[in-house]
Amino acid sequence: MNTVNLTINGKLVQAEKGSTIIEVALANGIKIPHLCYEKGLSIAGTCRVCMVKIKDRPGMEAACTTEVVEGMKVITSDEEIDEARKLIVELILSEHKHDCLVCESNGQCELQDLAYDLGIDRILFPVSKSVEPTEDSSQVILKDPNKCILCGRCVRSCAEITVQRVLDFAARGSGTFLISGLDQPLVDTDCVSCGACIQTCPTGALTEKLARFQGRSWEFRKVQTVCPYCGVGCQIELNIKNDKIVKVYGVEEGPDNKGHLCVKGRFGFDYVHHKDRLTTPLIKHNGKFEEASWDEALNLVATKFKELKDKYGSDALAGLSSAKCTNEENYLFQKFIRICFGTNNVDHCARLCHASTVAGLTRAFGSGAMTNSIREFERADVILVTGSNTTETHPVIGNYFKHLAAYNGTKLMVVDPRAIELTEYAEIWLRQKSGTDVAWINGLMNIIINEGLYNKEFVENRTENFDEFRKVVSKYTPGKVEKITGIPEEKLIAAARMYGKADRGSIVFAMGITQHTTGTDNVLSLANLAMLCGNVGREGTGVNPLRGQNNVQGACDLGALPNVYPGYQKVSEAKVRENFETAWGVKLPPKDGLTVVEIMDAASKGEIKGFYIMGENPMLSDPNLNHVREGLENLDFLVVQDIFLTETAELADVVLPGVSFAEKNGTFTNTCRRIQLLHKAIPPIGKSREDWKIIMEIGKRMGYPMAYHSPREIMDEIASLTPIYGGVHFDRLGEQGLQWPCPSREHPGTPYLHKDKFTRGKGLFTPVDYIPPAELPDEEYPFLLSTGRVLYHFHTGSLSRRSKPLDGIAPEGFLEISPQDAEKLRIKNNGWVRVSSRRGKLKVKVKITHRVDKGVVFMTFHFAESAVNLLTSDALDPVAKIPEYKVSAVKIERI
Amino acid sequence: MIKELKSPLRVVLDNYGRINPESIEEYIAQDGYEAVGKVLREMRPEQVLSEVKASGLQGRGGAAFPTGLKWEFTAKAKAAPKYIICNADEGEPGTFKDRAILEGDPHKIIEGMIIAGYAVGAHYGYIYIRGEYLLSINRFNKALKQAREHRFVGEDVFGSGFNFQIEIHQGAGSYVCGEETALMESLEGKRGNPRFKPPFPPSSGLWGKPTLINNVETLANIAPIILKGADWFRIFGTKECPGTKVYAISGHVKETGLIEAPMGITLREIIIDYAQGMRGSKFKMAQVGGTAGAILGEDMLDVPLDYASLVEKGLVLGSGAILVMDETTCALDMLKCFLNFFKRESCGKCIPCRVGTEKLLELVTAISRGEGKEDDIDLMLHTAKVMQKTSLCALGQSLILPISTILKYFREEVTEHIKGRCPTGVCKI
Amino acid sequence: MKLRNKEKDVIALLSKAQRENKHNYITEDKLKLIAQEAGLSYGEVYGVVTFYSLFSLKPRGEYIIRVCDSGPCHLMGLKSIFEVLEKELKIKVGETTNDGMFTLEEVSCLGICNEAPVMMINEKVCGNLTPQKIREILRELRKKK
Repeated sequence: MNTVNLTINGKLVQAEKGSTIIEVALANGIKIPHLCYEKGLSIAGTCRVCMVKIKDRPGMEAACTTEVVEGMKVITSDEEIDEARKLIVELILSEHKHDCLVCESNGQCELQDLAYDLGIDRILFPVSKSVEPTEDSSQVILKDPNKCILCGRCVRSCAEITVQRVLDFAARGSGTFLISGLDQPLVDTDCVSCGACIQTCPTGALTEKLARFQGRSWEFRKVQTVCPYCGVGCQIELNIKNDKIVKVYGVEEGPDNKGHLCVKGRFGFDYVHHKDRLTTPLIKHNGKFEEASWDEALNLVATKFKELKDKYGSDALAGLSSAKCTNEENYLFQKFIRICFGTNNVDHCARLCHASTVAGLTRAFGSGAMTNSIREFERADVILVTGSNTTETHPVIGNYFKHLAAYNGTKLMVVDPRAIELTEYAEIWLRQKSGTDVAWINGLMNIIINEGLYNKEFVENRTENFDEFRKVVSKYTPGKVEKITGIPEEKLIAAARMYGKADRGSIVFAMGITQHTTGTDNVLSLANLAMLCGNVGREGTGVNPLRGQNNVQGACDLGALPNVYPGYQKVSEAKVRENFETAWGVKLPPKDGLTVVEIMDAASKGEIKGFYIMGENPMLSDPNLNHVREGLENLDFLVVQDIFLTETAELADVVLPGVSFAEKNGTFTNTCRRIQLLHKAIPPIGKSREDWKIIMEIGKRMGYPMAYHSPREIMDEIASLTPIYGGVHFDRLGEQGLQWPCPSREHPGTPYLHKDKFTRGKGLFTPVDYIPPAELPDEEYPFLLSTGRVLYHFHTGSLSRRSKPLDGIAPEGFLEISPQDAEKLRIKNNGWVRVSSRRGKLKVKVKITHRVDKGVVFMTFHFAESAVNLLTSDALDPVAKIPEYKVSAVKIERI
Repeated sequence: MIKELKSPLRVVLDNYGRINPESIEEYIAQDGYEAVGKVLREMRPEQVLSEVKASGLQGRGGAAFPTGLKWEFTAKAKAAPKYIICNADEGEPGTFKDRAILEGDPHKIIEGMIIAGYAVGAHYGYIYIRGEYLLSINRFNKALKQAREHRFVGEDVFGSGFNFQIEIHQGAGSYVCGEETALMESLEGKRGNPRFKPPFPPSSGLWGKPTLINNVETLANIAPIILKGADWFRIFGTKECPGTKVYAISGHVKETGLIEAPMGITLREIIIDYAQGMRGSKFKMAQVGGTAGAILGEDMLDVPLDYASLVEKGLVLGSGAILVMDETTCALDMLKCFLNFFKRESCGKCIPCRVGTEKLLELVTAISRGEGKEDDIDLMLHTAKVMQKTSLCALGQSLILPISTILKYFREEVTEHIKGRCPTGVCKI
Repeated sequence: MKLRNKEKDVIALLSKAQRENKHNYITEDKLKLIAQEAGLSYGEVYGVVTFYSLFSLKPRGEYIIRVCDSGPCHLMGLKSIFEVLEKELKIKVGETTNDGMFTLEEVSCLGICNEAPVMMINEKVCGNLTPQKIREILRELRKKK
């Protein structure tokens, strides 16, 4: 029997066995006062405020630590209980600073509410604690020890959610106090500024530093929406006063973040109100931007594009859509390009991150997305993370991995050339040489096959081409693999056994796998590995690419790609095309368009004349920036639609001010295919306009009127044309969203793919041989340069660099170099160096660290001041056309 | 060596002072390790359990939980591995019996632990010894080394195939670590904060595994029970509380030291027969069971000092410490001393104890300076009562006892302070 | 590996570090090393080290005098013991003499109550204390120097 019946205050309730009284009471709307208990954290049982009586048991028991049993009769309040609670609160008040008048938590303070509810109108014990100074070293967190009631919720959230373990208690008894690190200022500790401690603090002991005196709790308008940064899709609640966002909380019910956020999501919102926001259209006259009216700008854009189309043909035009924009906007953008430009030259930054994933997984499984859901990771026995610095790039998932390793017995296996944070939590860490992924994956599979650890039944019944594949894999003996990858044989064997023996193994990867000339091969290899062990089509398994941008999944899903319409329906298939032609009432071009890097090439050759870029910044994000600049400068007409005058926008002829996530409705699709609702929180800043409206306006002026009244209507059209989104309508999305494929209104969505059958029928094994990277270090350029991100910034920094706290914490870029190499080059920490490649050069500061191996250096691409993509190679994966950001050869000189 | 007062009866202390505690040979000569031999050769674990159950032995740490039952719960727990812990974190002020046993007869503890391990199916034992007990630690270390050399501890004990390892953990200064769950936290390398219960250690203890935790004196009773039988053990003491008890007597008596006496002996007998009477002045009160124990006035001199009889009166025997105080003693001054102890040793985890101990000390201090108010006495009682009802562990729950019993006997004396006078002249007003 | 791999040993490691330090305390550098060795965060190890009264994060004297102030010792004349020690050493509880020789600490029961009042000087127990006896003990120790 898994349910028990009990009464609480005489009310009969049913509860799941193993739950505690407080959980059951709260779930049934029965209030039990409490301070140290919080859903989602471990039970502490320390505040003793939730004491209740249980019939036939002596004394009182804490409702948070007592499990319900059949027939239990609970009393949550009587005179004795209330008296006890009152005294406990009076004791707390005797060591609490009473400055409610100016306290940030006034009005949302659990202690205040409790004192009020208990009717405490006297001071029973005088305050006897000395006043300690507040601690304000952090950019974002203000710690006031005088308001701390030592409930430990912050300590537990730091240990259990972020697994950073910065906060703890020191000393004991009445001398107990909250510390960070070795009783150091927060800024000197390992604090990652996620703010989980603030969100859980019941009083004003931990508050948002920058929100201080910006608004009282009751003055805020609260709007629930989705974080604009990465692909995790955290649900956030914006707290707004006078149309200004003041605070952000994580939404506890958010299906993938469960209330947790990272520093960017919680504190990086102020870019929305940054003074640099574009507030009016700009037109360039003689090299200088001048403000223009919307009509002027839109007419000019439409006229110029029409002219160019008439003069040079449709394929002389191209567009870049945006993974930052909504699904509805991406849909409209590609529709606009295909209809008004008449070309399939539409692409977006997914090309630079997961194009190889889409190519590889579509080939192997029939579908290019993350196979499983984020919260299924807790069902996995082994999680293999490769090429993903998850704690910095997808912090909410990264911290979840740490949590699972620390508390759930999940084994982490990390394969990464850098000593990323997750390696500290990993049971096994394999450090491969950059660009040798096919070799180690083949090696792993070789061992798994030889030791009979593979899932023969799965291979036989659900896959094809195993024998061909096996032939290739058999060449990759541990010895050979060690020579190629540098991974010691015995470690590879241990890893093979760990993954091979796991009942549920989950593979997680990101750019370390995809951004190679062999990106598609790498992904195919991971798909092979998962199929070999039967790790597809079950909960807690799969091949899981972590998508970078908040809506890069959606931008792909909705056809912002040169070869497919929404829902990955091929442009080249006549039947598909006819379907869209009928729906849109126009003739559509049959030929696949150009990809991002190909468009830049074509532009520099003069083949592309007009270019419409919405919300992208190729002048920092694309490889070989000098070449990109050449291309963009060679255009006849460039339109950039953005919220800031980015490095790319500066080259434009016309700049159109779009809006941020906070100023629009629509949907984003997160990395695990979950479509979630955005809610417009504030009106557009200045004269800026919602992006979908701008696209409609240009469309109208180019002769294709579109008359949507809202994103909701656009989604209805999407649903009618996109089978995987077939059942997606705004009224169904609510708090939990929907995971595609969701083919019909009745369909509940799909948490994991390929359950009984792969999308393509049978899973396809592809034999893949190891090919070295396109450019390896040599005598002239002796270092291998790899690129990536840091926790505090996002992509080209257009947003995060304009956030005061984020840029305050991480104001500059750096080059990571190993201590050995630093010594050889006689470079000091924080010293300057010149880094150059065959394509360009830059100056940057040095950070000496063991994170990188000898001979390898690492840089992030967030910083325009040290734009690493001046150096990177634009060698492409032949299938997916993704550039090899992760490997290029450079030389380093001290300056 | 602690003075052992005239004790005709010897179960726990039978080797105490009679053998060289650093010589395993002398221990063996007194039938040492025979109980282990007997258990491993002749008895099944269930038989060991039923013998201990039949003896009626109760936990000698203070809580008096039936030892056999505790063993049975641990034996029945499904999870593995299981652990044995010997609680040698003796910290209750006025108590020094465990130290005496550790220093005087360490092998008896080792024997008890091995037998317990065999009975419940544990192969790993820890002994948690107070960090301040340096001699105890040294002695036990030596004894353990000898026991390993003699293959009593380690692999395949007595050729029976039974393995048992023992590891010493040294405390680092915390009274509350004597609380069994705080001790486990400490053993795991954490702050010594007590855990909430349930779950109880037999189902979820050290590292969440089934754990049997017994006090030193409890384990010292095991080998005699096994060798001489439960019936023999029941000859001593009372029906409800069989066996002997080691009492530690200190304070204003002529002779202080250890007493092993049958359960049920009275305070008067201890003071007169063992401690040779009061030093000079007249008996005023005694605190039984350590600082968390009750104050007994003259009317209680003839109450039998066993678990059951005291519980009947709402009192506790606790660790068996007896602190005798004569008429020169100020009741309020002693209360201040007790509360100072609680405040210093509260772990700070739960609010009632963390703040309550501090506030109670503040109240008593004010009264002792003549700065108290009449209401303060009721506030003290109210606070202590709420602490009793709501605190997480016994530390906060139990200080009601010294407070309420002192106020029961000496409320007037406390009130005198509020009026500005210390009747004994101890407090400077 | 940050995962509490040797958490169980942390108290033993701290004790050892303190024993080996000639000023009877644990230095910050040592504390950091122990955290790393045990797989604990700095916050966690700091929480542990400050919980237990035998550990110190401040340098202490060559001789640590720990005076018991629990019931039996209090009853048997503790006050005069403290008075004498504070006067002789010219320090208060918790302090160290200028010459770095003595640190005076208060402790809970040492389990030698039959000899109350008692104190420990490093590993040595001194019982049945009287002001006279304390002065003698201190004189002896100073002479040794």
